[in-house]
Amino acid sequence: MILYTMMPEYLVFPTDRAAYEKQKLVYYDGIPFLVQATETGEYEIVQNLSTNPYHFLEAKYAPGARFPASAATS
Amino acid sequence: MEKERYFQAEAEGEQPETKTEEATAAITQLGQTNVPQMELDTNIHCLTIVGQIEGHIQLPPQNKATKYEHVIPQIVAIEQNPKIEGLLVILNTVGGDVEAGLAIAEMLASLSKPTVSIVLGGGHSIGVPIAVSCDHSFITETATMTIHPIRLTGLVIGVPQTFEYLDKMQERVVRFVTKHSKISEEKFKELMFSKGNLTRDIGTNVVGPDAVRYGLIDEVGGVSQAMAKLRELIEMKKSGEGKIVQ
Repeated sequence: MILYTMMPEYLVFPTDRAAYEKQKLVYYDGIPFLVQATETGEYEIVQNLSTNPYHFLEAKYAPGARFPASAATS
Repeated sequence: MEKERYFQAEAEGEQPETKTEEATAAITQLGQTNVPQMELDTNIHCLTIVGQIEGHIQLPPQNKATKYEHVIPQIVAIEQNPKIEGLLVILNTVGGDVEAGLAIAEMLASLSKPTVSIVLGGGHSIGVPIAVSCDHSFITETATMTIHPIRLTGLVIGVPQTFEYLDKMQERVVRFVTKHSKISEEKFKELMFSKGNLTRDIGTNVVGPDAVRYGLIDEVGGVSQAMAKLRELIEMKKSGEGKIVQ
């Protein structure tokens, strides 16, 4: 389907509100992370938002790693 | 005694299993079993500007986006932290919100610490002011930057705006880029309004060495050149040899 409009796609087809609630920003060990909640009450790291390059070398801060939701501070 | 030994044996028996579990977890997450460990302190921080630059409208989670509410506090923290001496900005962006992009660019330009930017892959659209905002800019050989006039739905701050308003907004981008790089306003506008380079659109796609030739970017180079330059700027700042020349 081709839509001939100058409106961006996200304005024509707005995303479901629930999709936004899946991800959030939390701090873990003082490092900001974009996380996604899992069914087990943990947070799975989607993106490491730190500017310190060494934080990217630690396996526990890598995308896909999980940590308990209670360990997160906001 | 017997019991103790039993527990010990049990503990020993369990150990290898947990180890394998950890290893498999590492493989599923990273595709590798171990990651180099280092002390978590560095004088150079790096800021990655990836995907779209998100503005007032929150992009759906499947989009990769750089959010200014994440980036700006980090720039403030970098300015505040005395241990951080330099910042490397890595760009691979398709552009996005003009005001958010300019906000990030202005924050970087006004940072008191040495900054070096490097464009990898693409630094398109509003990525251009961010790339030139640093003290020294690099572009890799294959990286490209698309320069084009601002395009919008006509909706700015929620209401339709006049052409003059959009023209002024574009003028802000042009002024910022010409102020922070060696490109002249005429050349930048010529690239911005040239025809036949982009499909059904006006603008130019500038490849690495061309960006340097036009004076938009300072040098063609990769991570080693960028880090060397950043260290040099840090040394220069430390010894107080004059001001960093843009």
